[in-house]
Amino acid sequence: MSDLAMVQEDVPGKRVPLVLGKQDFHSVTESVAGIVEGPTPHKWKLLFVLALSILLILLGSLGRLVTKGIGVWGNNTTVGWAWDITGFVFWIGIGHAGTLISAILFLFRQKWRTSINRAAEAMTIFAVMSAGIYPLFHVGRVWFAYWLFPIPNQMGMWPNFKSPLFWDVCAVSTYATVSILFWYVGLVPDLATLRDRAKTKTRQIVYGIFALGWRGSHRHWLNYERAYGILAGLSAPLVLSVHTIVSFDFAVSIIPGWHTTIFPPYFVAGAIFSGFAMVMTLMIIARKAFGLERLITMRHLENMNKVIVATGTMVGYAYAVEFFIAWYSGNPYESFALMNRAFGPYKWAYWTMVSCNVIFPQLFWFKKVRTSIPAMFVISIIVNIGMWFERFVIIVTSLSRDFLPSSWAYFRPTIFDITTFFGTFGLFMTMFLLFLRFLPMVAIGEVKSVLPAADAHPHHDDDGHDAPGSEGMSKEPVHAA
Amino acid sequence: MKRAPYPLREDLSGKSYWRSLGELEGSAEFQESLPAEFPEGAAEPPTGVARRQFLTIMGASMALAGLTACRRPEEKIVPYARAPEEVIPGKPLYFATALAMHGTAIGLVVESHEGRPTKLEGNPKHPDSRGATTHFVQATMLDMYDPDRSESPRERGTPRPWEDVSSYLRTLGDKLKVKRGKGLAIITDEQRSPTLARVLGELKAAMPDAKIVRYEAFSRVNVRRGTQLAFGKTYETVLDVAKARVVVALDSDFLFNEGSPVKQARGFAEGRQPEQTKSAMSRLYVIESGHSVTGGNADNRLRLQSRKIGGFVFELARELGVAHKLDLGELLAALPPGELDPRAQKWVKAIAKDLAAHKGRGIVVAGDLQPAEVHAVVHLVNLALTNTGNTVRHVAAFDETPEGPAALMDVAKGVRDKSIDTLLILGGNPAYDAPADAKFAEALAEAATSIHVSTHVNETSAKAQWHLNRAHYLEGWSDVRAEDGSASIVQPLIAPLFGGRTDAEVIDLLLGGNRRGYDLVRGTWNKDSAPTFEKAWRRALHDGLWDGSTAPLEPVAARPADVAAALKLRKPSAGGLEVTFRADAHAYDGRFANNGWLQELPDSLAKMTWGNAAVLSQATAKALGVVDGEVLTITVDGAQAHVPALVMPGHADESISLTIGQGRTVVGRVGKGVGVDCTQLRHSAAFHSAGASVSKGAGKVALARTQEHYAMEGRGMVQEAELGEYLKEPEFVEKRKEKLPLFSLWEEQKYEGHKWGMAIDLNACIGCSACTIACQSENNIPIVGPENVINSREMHWIRVDRYFEGEGAEEARAVTQPTLCNHCEMAPCEQVCPVGATTHSPEGLNDMAYNRCVGTRYCANNCPFKVRRYNFLDYHGDLPEIGKMAMNPDVTVRFRGVMEKCSFCVQRINHAKIDAHRDGHERITDGAVVAACQQVCPTQAISFGDLNDGKSVVAKQASNPRAYKLLEELNIKPRVSYLARIRNPNPELVGA
Repeated sequence: MSDLAMVQEDVPGKRVPLVLGKQDFHSVTESVAGIVEGPTPHKWKLLFVLALSILLILLGSLGRLVTKGIGVWGNNTTVGWAWDITGFVFWIGIGHAGTLISAILFLFRQKWRTSINRAAEAMTIFAVMSAGIYPLFHVGRVWFAYWLFPIPNQMGMWPNFKSPLFWDVCAVSTYATVSILFWYVGLVPDLATLRDRAKTKTRQIVYGIFALGWRGSHRHWLNYERAYGILAGLSAPLVLSVHTIVSFDFAVSIIPGWHTTIFPPYFVAGAIFSGFAMVMTLMIIARKAFGLERLITMRHLENMNKVIVATGTMVGYAYAVEFFIAWYSGNPYESFALMNRAFGPYKWAYWTMVSCNVIFPQLFWFKKVRTSIPAMFVISIIVNIGMWFERFVIIVTSLSRDFLPSSWAYFRPTIFDITTFFGTFGLFMTMFLLFLRFLPMVAIGEVKSVLPAADAHPHHDDDGHDAPGSEGMSKEPVHAA
Repeated sequence: MKRAPYPLREDLSGKSYWRSLGELEGSAEFQESLPAEFPEGAAEPPTGVARRQFLTIMGASMALAGLTACRRPEEKIVPYARAPEEVIPGKPLYFATALAMHGTAIGLVVESHEGRPTKLEGNPKHPDSRGATTHFVQATMLDMYDPDRSESPRERGTPRPWEDVSSYLRTLGDKLKVKRGKGLAIITDEQRSPTLARVLGELKAAMPDAKIVRYEAFSRVNVRRGTQLAFGKTYETVLDVAKARVVVALDSDFLFNEGSPVKQARGFAEGRQPEQTKSAMSRLYVIESGHSVTGGNADNRLRLQSRKIGGFVFELARELGVAHKLDLGELLAALPPGELDPRAQKWVKAIAKDLAAHKGRGIVVAGDLQPAEVHAVVHLVNLALTNTGNTVRHVAAFDETPEGPAALMDVAKGVRDKSIDTLLILGGNPAYDAPADAKFAEALAEAATSIHVSTHVNETSAKAQWHLNRAHYLEGWSDVRAEDGSASIVQPLIAPLFGGRTDAEVIDLLLGGNRRGYDLVRGTWNKDSAPTFEKAWRRALHDGLWDGSTAPLEPVAARPADVAAALKLRKPSAGGLEVTFRADAHAYDGRFANNGWLQELPDSLAKMTWGNAAVLSQATAKALGVVDGEVLTITVDGAQAHVPALVMPGHADESISLTIGQGRTVVGRVGKGVGVDCTQLRHSAAFHSAGASVSKGAGKVALARTQEHYAMEGRGMVQEAELGEYLKEPEFVEKRKEKLPLFSLWEEQKYEGHKWGMAIDLNACIGCSACTIACQSENNIPIVGPENVINSREMHWIRVDRYFEGEGAEEARAVTQPTLCNHCEMAPCEQVCPVGATTHSPEGLNDMAYNRCVGTRYCANNCPFKVRRYNFLDYHGDLPEIGKMAMNPDVTVRFRGVMEKCSFCVQRINHAKIDAHRDGHERITDGAVVAACQQVCPTQAISFGDLNDGKSVVAKQASNPRAYKLLEELNIKPRVSYLARIRNPNPELVGA
């Protein structure tokens, strides 16, 4: 695969095309839509059964939780939040990369995003769903969880607008809504493609309904581009705001180790960090499983690795600044909280976090590592483990030893903490597998726009986009598709 | 894990109306469990879900009543056809009664809601209560509503009606009368009832050869025998701690469970109010092996093995006699050598000097567990120091019944040599708590006829031929004398739930009579049928105290020669590792083993719940190579017990403290498998045995402790100063504070009306934890069981934090601090609740709307005091009807998934408001609202009231220079003030 190997070079001005091989409009459609239309692969069936079983574990755990009470988890009076909110922040963080890739990179006209943005957005939505499990079910009386929403009622009871948890509810539900809309709008032209290629009546009707009567007219494309742009504009600030507000849950409280102003940027960087790692893990698998190496190229992966090393370094900087501020502020509680993190009973968690998040991603400074599929796969998983630990360290160690030593306690997870968290992966995987099977996992319309073929070119049969050394897209401006 | 629900559940909740519960039979399973003396896992702390399920049905700790708030009751509600006199639905009535415990009487006022008692308070008129109680007393109410109580008489385990019992007892009595009572032995518990004494007197008249003895594992028998030795006659010893300037406690926990603890604790606190006493503040020396509550309050505390306490007393007497020319007569020459190390000798000198300087204003008090000759020396020392008659008073003993382990062993011997064939045991549980060498359980099984009268089926009931269910003291008529002779009528608050009878009624049946308790008690007091009797009787019932019944001071004359003779018989103490036995902090002598409130109440210093441990010092633990929770195999004279170790700062080296009362085998569901039985190690000779051997390797268990962290981490939660420092600079607390610029983000609320606040005087707090139980009783707080305590989920709204501080772990000083919701004016919890379930009232209460709470736990996370309590599980579970009866109807019973916390007893505030409104007052007067924790506090450390009322006690306390607030630097503006603790150590003993 000389064209794949070629991507090792990334010299501005001499960049390889974003899509490799002799791809034209038809072959892109075929390779993406073909996945959806072809027979269900056995591997998919196996994976789906596995994912469903894990989802059942989640349902069983939640069933036990709702019937017995929060006490089935290990949370206690001192450590009121533990794996529940850790899981919430973990999943919400993962979602961020999707929005970043699809919205912010779109606004910055980063064309390389086109082949991964659909899957990344799907990941966002499913990650937000998995995250949503926790705030919903971690309340003691889940049947009253709707009280957290500002629903007008005859009693005139409103949520407490001062509470960061209420801001959180607003931020996350806004985020979920906008993400779904954005994703769906992007899907419309591709759904129409599937509708048009449908061989059965059912497919035609179902895709037809969701394609919203898309005919591919210029007016449609015009409206589509506008809507897409507006939604991208709406999503972009959400990348920053959602995790900022999630961090307010902690930063606005008075608990040493939580009450710090660095949390918003620190959380956003961490979210992007973990999100990119998750996209990486998923893309490496999907790319291999569905033979999409030519659409999702090494260049995409390498770019993401660069984002990972950048955000990982930011996170490491935040860890250092926390210590500095704890010392500099002269606040004894704050210094104690930080020292306790690094050298107290949870030091094992702290040092796991530091090594996973700060040390391992630094390997991406080396091009060899950055472009090695096994290396990046392992590091992406390490980063996700590290980011889970980061949330655990922040939440649990700070709570476990706060102001009065008489109340200090140690948190131990129960089997239900573990199964609930494990089960959320079942939800995520199930949704993701369904997405892969029934929706185009690559944005067909958008990828076509970055094909050389989309570029109106006089010497159509001899533009050499296939040859080594081609300057590809960087040479000429791309006209609107 | 055992998950099977306990089968007794159905039986207990079958009837909805309490009157009909009496007819229920115990389930077959429960009866089967009785002979199972050594159940699996009895030696380990309980584990598994099954225990939790037991707990959820465990009677009165929990309730279901809250569910009626959201569901219509299915039962038909029928109003009174003819209303009982004075009962207004929703208005509690209060009745005076009394409880016999701690070798005295605690006068009580019982709150009764529509005919069911729900809360015990001390009787302010009673000298041994003065309005407060101990934690044990609070919890006795739960015992009455215990679903595991005995429901009927049983013959060899088979339920029998009382009619059969009556005819049986009459026949037995007739037979015994013919034999002039020969072969009959009656064992009473530490009873002080004039009526029972009178009925027993009648029995003695009819059956002159019957033997009557008194036995309770922990009693004041050694103190009384000490008076017999020292003065030739048995007296009660009454301490007036308030008057004392110097108190020397020798292995004595007089502030907690020896003597009359409430009265003594109150007196202790009165002698230490630095504002009043100034430099005349009392000084407490404590010399002890284990770290007791009293030891935690010492100004100077010396760790010394229990077996050396006697030596310390002798050296103290010698020093007083030789260096301070105290006239001890023949005693001085007869004092055996104390065998003390130079350090203890230095203490002897300093203490003797202090005592001699405060003649008539000192108290030397030895622990109940010290032998009689030590007490005799102490009595003589007090007499020689002229303390006797001032701070130490002797009054006539209740009676001259033979008592103590010797008397019990005598009975057991009688059974074995067949001179006794009929045993009648009134209360107590000698088959469990008798010294091992008495072999009482075997003797009981050998007796031809044995009858045990008891509220619960226990080890003694299981061994006896007959078990008769006894009326709880809140169910039957009786009377009781306090240690100073003051008599109270024990009037019942409720008809016996299971038809039990009192001891006097049983004796009367044996004598062929069938008088009810009421007639028996009236008969006692209406001796001469005086026309004024009815008035006096009503007054006694109303006041809870029989006017003029206090015993006069007895003049005593020293008999040093007798004491000298007794000392000659004393064997020198053996060396080696010693083991001491004390009453358990939870189960007492085992009687409260099935009481969930007490089992879950953390003891004052180790903060352990649910079980007992072998407490030892750090040095001893190091020498043995053990850590907390490691199970030790302790061997004394061939008998073994497997007890988990607990390392405690301030414990004496080469000494292990064990407790008696846990590890009960025939016990209800709560106490089953809790703790370890150490009774087989104890011998009648003394409460400490030397020469024990210890080995480890029996595994490790998790101890259910609520606070394992000892240090304050330099955070200054408890502020302390020595008396000299305080007198020089009363504003020392203010000086220590770091001044920070604090400002609020919001406009702060103004409090125009009432402004509720609390002040807690840490100088008065002794750490007894009675407040925790009182709060639990008042506010329907559930128990959660040992696994949940291990996972820090205890529900107590007020806890007593304990820290150790000072140089070196071994000589650390203990400080205690009751911690509850501080009702912060800028409450961090209120700000973060997403649904506004916790809000501020216009009077400054941090209110909790349980119905609005969805249970995010955010408030608890953001609470800097960690006083919010979350219902992680359905702790109120399926509750038997009898359990619901213990609930306070004025307080919502919380359901699973909601947060709860101290409400400053808002229900009491509202009652007071209604009363004030009715009486036409504009404001509630100071003292009209008394919080439950405040009311029970033996030392009156807690004051509560309106901070806007400048004349209120709490406002004065809050403006005391010693007052400070916790975590003020967070700008949360707490409403609870703490008053710094003042210590008065002897300067001569600094560093000694």
